[in-house]
Amino acid sequence: MRLVTLEDVHAAAAAIAPHVVRTPLLPFDSALWIKPECLQPIGAFKQRGAVNALSRIPSEARSRGVVAYSSGNHAQAVAYAAKLLGMPAAIVVPSNTPQLKIDATRAHGAEVFVVGITERESRAYELVEERGATLIPPFDHPDVIAGQGTIGLEICADLPDVATVLVPVSGGGLISGVAVAVKSLRPDVRVIGVEPELAGDAAASFAAGSQVHWDAHDRARTIADGLRAEPSELTFAHIREHVDDIITVTEDEIRSAVGEIARRTRVVSEPSGAVGVAAYLNRSLPAGPAVAVVSGGNIEPALFASLVAG
Amino acid sequence: MISLDDIRAAATVIAPHVVRTPLLPFGPSRWLKPESLQPIGAFKLRGALNALARLENRSNGVVAYSSGNHAQAVAFAARLHGVPAAIVMPSNTPEVKIAATRALGAEVFVVGITERVERAEALVAERGAALIPPFDHPDVIAGQGTIGLEICADLPSLDAVVVPMSGGGLISGVATAVKALRPDVRVIGAEPALAADIADSLHAGELVRWDPVARARTAADALRDEPSELTWEHISELVDDVITVSEDEILAAVADLVRGARLVAEPSGAVAVAAQAKLGHGVAVVSGGNIDPQLLAGALTASG
Repeated sequence: MRLVTLEDVHAAAAAIAPHVVRTPLLPFDSALWIKPECLQPIGAFKQRGAVNALSRIPSEARSRGVVAYSSGNHAQAVAYAAKLLGMPAAIVVPSNTPQLKIDATRAHGAEVFVVGITERESRAYELVEERGATLIPPFDHPDVIAGQGTIGLEICADLPDVATVLVPVSGGGLISGVAVAVKSLRPDVRVIGVEPELAGDAAASFAAGSQVHWDAHDRARTIADGLRAEPSELTFAHIREHVDDIITVTEDEIRSAVGEIARRTRVVSEPSGAVGVAAYLNRSLPAGPAVAVVSGGNIEPALFASLVAG
Repeated sequence: MISLDDIRAAATVIAPHVVRTPLLPFGPSRWLKPESLQPIGAFKLRGALNALARLENRSNGVVAYSSGNHAQAVAFAARLHGVPAAIVMPSNTPEVKIAATRALGAEVFVVGITERVERAEALVAERGAALIPPFDHPDVIAGQGTIGLEICADLPSLDAVVVPMSGGGLISGVATAVKALRPDVRVIGAEPALAADIADSLHAGELVRWDPVARARTAADALRDEPSELTWEHISELVDDVITVSEDEILAAVADLVRGARLVAEPSGAVAVAAQAKLGHGVAVVSGGNIDPQLLAGALTASG
């Protein structure tokens, strides 16, 4: 299996630069910075991978459009990137997706199909078949992984003395890309994945040394609705090669981290985006400056209101 | 009046200590300059850092009076330079800002809203400390102006900049930078209708004073000041227009920023965004994000 390389990530950085926000590192306290990917126009890092993947589709295939399946942020990312590059987009989302994310995806001009949580892949493949469109998977693709890896390049450039990078893990696309970039540039920096305890399949797999599968309904228990997927063979191979550890956090720790991030950095995060900070606040980490990737900020306003006041 | 060179010099001085905030797209033809992402949660850090770095004698410490964000800015800058800071704050300052200022190591004096200047001057006399005013100082204005440099550098298609106005230090600096680099770009001030003394002044062609108690009615607690002669000179010379917004429009903009930009803004920080919504285009400066969590929760609930 060919893993994504630093060169792939550098190429992605050049391709996506005009279409993404160059997010700054924001101080959280004296030892932690956040990388606020929730400030991307769609409110999540997924824009990086989607723009990179779409920009690499050959021109003759562009008019047939793209298809994506996603619990939400990838859906908006593909819809946004398709609008940017002038391609039609069809998005399949599971029925437990927050309404906010469905509305936002439609607002970018995509056609949205809402299906049962276990049917989303099969429906996406049907649409690809019917339309001759290109499938843009949420994480299981080298171009998507390379796009997410650009976050790692930026962290290393902005904080040369970084010692630890904390990255949310779900399908594993984000941590695969970030780990390739960080470990290639700075092999001494520790890259640590963070999962909700209630969707801790990647942590269990990492500890076992081979992939452990959890039932999709179990993974759906966490409030972190962007972290309910599981790694693919491709992303798990990157994790085994490059990631130092995967740790878990509780639902209460996640909720409280959303409030802390808002109060200390004035940034709105969704529960999935806050797991890295939750790990920093509640687990012992290696000494030295740490960066937590705050992966997204698409949260229902009422939930955010209750967490920030809490 | 300050010059583009003053602002460029300030940019060099403050660069290691401030966040280089990006422009965030906010719907068609609208962008945000999120100064709420500075370490103290407001643009004031830029002016305070520049003023403190340029002080010739700071060994006896610094004194500041402020409704909140300037207080934190001076406390932060003083800690960075290892000098003591005494901060005088009016009694209607949100608790979150008082606590944040103390947390930065400053000594805080809470006084009646009309007594703060007098008390600050007394502290200066007693201690031989240096006063860092919130806006009425060329070095402070030059520091705030670095925001204008960054906006011009990041958005070649820039057509308008919308900036909140209170004492006028922010818009004086931003307008100086923008008009020097891009004379074609419109610089528009934004004010709460309940503290619209500068709008009145611009319409009258001379500085009009409002009673401080009247200005204190707005929820935008950082926009209750009035310009000095120095900032009024910059404003009357460089600002093209002013848009006033209602209290409801301000709180709606706070909610829009959470939903549409993932930013926590205080009411004062959302005033330019409320004005930008009326204008329909341009860059709005989100000047600060230090909001009481309960007020933020209320704004989100009120807007559904």
